[in-house]
Amino acid sequence: MKKNIQKIEPYIWILPSIILMSVFILIPIGFVFRMALSKVTRAGLIKGFVGFENFTKVLSMPTFGMVLKNTLVWTVAVVGLSTLLGFILALLLNNEFKGRKIARAIVVFPWATTLVVQASIWKFIIDVDYGTLNTLLKKLGIIDHAVNWTSTPELWFAWEIACGIFVTVPFVTFTVLSGLQSIDGTYYEAATVDGANYWQKLFRITIPLVSSSLTVSTVLNIIYVFNSFPIIWNMTKGDPGNRTDTLVTYLYKLAFYNGKQGLAAAVSVIGFLILLACAMVYMVSTLRKGDD
Amino acid sequence: MKKFIALSLSMVTALSLVACGGGSEADSGGEAKDEGGESGGKTEISVVAAEYGQNTKEWWKGFEADFEKDNADIDLQVKVVSWNDISKEVTTLISNENAPDILNIDVFADYQADDLLLPVEDYVSEETYGKMYEAFLQQSEIDGTIWAIPDLASVRTMFYNKQILKDAGVETVPATWDELTEACKKIKEKFPDVYPWGIDMTTDEGQAAFSYYVWNNGGDFTDADGNWTLNSPENVEAIEYAIGLINDGYTNADPATETRYKLQDNFGTGKIAMLIAPNSLPTYIAENGNEVDYGIAPIPSNTGTSIAQGVMDRFMCFDNDYSDEELAAITTFFDYFYEDARYSEWVDMEGFLPATTTGGEALAAEDEAMAEWIEIVGSCKFYPTAKAEWADVKQGVINVEQNALLGESVKEQLDNLQAEIAP
Repeated sequence: MKKNIQKIEPYIWILPSIILMSVFILIPIGFVFRMALSKVTRAGLIKGFVGFENFTKVLSMPTFGMVLKNTLVWTVAVVGLSTLLGFILALLLNNEFKGRKIARAIVVFPWATTLVVQASIWKFIIDVDYGTLNTLLKKLGIIDHAVNWTSTPELWFAWEIACGIFVTVPFVTFTVLSGLQSIDGTYYEAATVDGANYWQKLFRITIPLVSSSLTVSTVLNIIYVFNSFPIIWNMTKGDPGNRTDTLVTYLYKLAFYNGKQGLAAAVSVIGFLILLACAMVYMVSTLRKGDD
Repeated sequence: MKKFIALSLSMVTALSLVACGGGSEADSGGEAKDEGGESGGKTEISVVAAEYGQNTKEWWKGFEADFEKDNADIDLQVKVVSWNDISKEVTTLISNENAPDILNIDVFADYQADDLLLPVEDYVSEETYGKMYEAFLQQSEIDGTIWAIPDLASVRTMFYNKQILKDAGVETVPATWDELTEACKKIKEKFPDVYPWGIDMTTDEGQAAFSYYVWNNGGDFTDADGNWTLNSPENVEAIEYAIGLINDGYTNADPATETRYKLQDNFGTGKIAMLIAPNSLPTYIAENGNEVDYGIAPIPSNTGTSIAQGVMDRFMCFDNDYSDEELAAITTFFDYFYEDARYSEWVDMEGFLPATTTGGEALAAEDEAMAEWIEIVGSCKFYPTAKAEWADVKQGVINVEQNALLGESVKEQLDNLQAEIAP
């Protein structure tokens, strides 16, 4: 009897979170799937099952390919560059120096501010008419006329990516930093005694030992960034002509500007499947490592 | 076992994050109380209303209190929702079979198409109905039935900065497209840092730009019989003209991402010399602490007759299987709302124009400047919002404009759009 209770006990402990997840995650997801497979009127009523019609429609739209490509560029650029920068910053902050605590606190700032505020501030900085960037450069005498920093959709997208990197770096930095601090100093001492140089220590000791923290931050960032809505929405709304849309802003416009909720749900499901694939790769690889 | 855990974990991770980001359908309707019904002997009616500006919420709060004081047997619940969220909110409420009793929004055709609305004659008293401008009521007609009543209107026309035009040597305010181009050229030469003309082609309101140029070139969204004519030669010419102004450097830098509010701010600070804006522009400029010596003129036209644009919002009533008491309460609500003094206050609150003849007369008598606007409002043109394809057309023409800005052919795109909307 006691043994049985012991067996059940852990499940009782996780039951509340399972219930919460079901109510707030699984059931709504179920609704999205149902919508993706249904005919939905503009006013939002579900009028019967239509199989994969919404999916074939979405896949045949010429804008969808462009938006998917944008989403991949956005995710890879933001996650890749912020992981690199965050890692370097973590190495710097791991050194002993005066004011290290203040420096660490400053790094948290972009992360602690909401994305809407961040995006609005970035938009304000690069604004051609009142932007602080133009004002600053003019004051310094570097330019004498206001420069339009966002004259093409590609430039807009680049600024959005820059903003995305700015807000993502702190997360990487702190995840890596926690990994760095758990590395035993004696490894480095031993390596020094053996005559290893800085790069050898970095690649042979540091990176292997923080790789698990790096993997966690990368996987989480892929999912966060892929689904990130506020930066792009506040800066360009995916304009001009869907050139800066990602799947999330695109589906939002489909649902609430074009009144095509069935198609929007289909886009949502496609995004979900892509992320599911990413998450599975991660889980399977951790599992393999565990087996080794 | 491990594999199973890994798999389920990955599922849950992805699921939860999709739910955070993409599953906007999952949003609940918040705290709206939308069921018409009776509680504690009182008849409940729920209203979802658009937030026009900073004063709207306060106004409705006062209205709710006054209404409940004068109608002790009715429990009125008003929820004011920002323009950014209102259609999302209403769609969610409808999908959850939780439609409000009364809705105040801009469009109605999508709801009518799903048989969700009651005809106006079912719930608006004859007296109140008689107050409306006939032309306004016609905007809400489908198959001979009126499905919504106007709550207010606004008119778009041209505003110009008197000082800039004068200093640039523009003697007469441009009335034709040629004069407009000429004026832009003069302003640009004299003031390189000023944008002579403001254009908004954003996802927010690019359809407005479409109508300003198309209507003033003899084109339209539809023909007299209501068939879509999006790719008519007049329309193509009109949009090419607007894109030409942008490409010649006569407008604000980035019409695809600069909303009307940014243009209005720029006009207020003298950075834009001329633009098309609603009659509430002076109030907007003053509220933002700017001052500008402005003049008002008809929108420049290529045909000799300038057409002003009217924008109108509406009240509609969802068919929630009402009892007689509930229907009577809804009638009472509208009678109360459109009482002349109260209605004038509503319209005045955010600087709009009245949709009722009595309200128009009252405001015109009070304010001479208003009288001018009220005269324009009687003759302006509206979007074809009663047509079911309007949402697609609206987003479609915005896309055409934005792609034209990126160098694509206006004609080709309008041809494609026409083929998509009216195959």
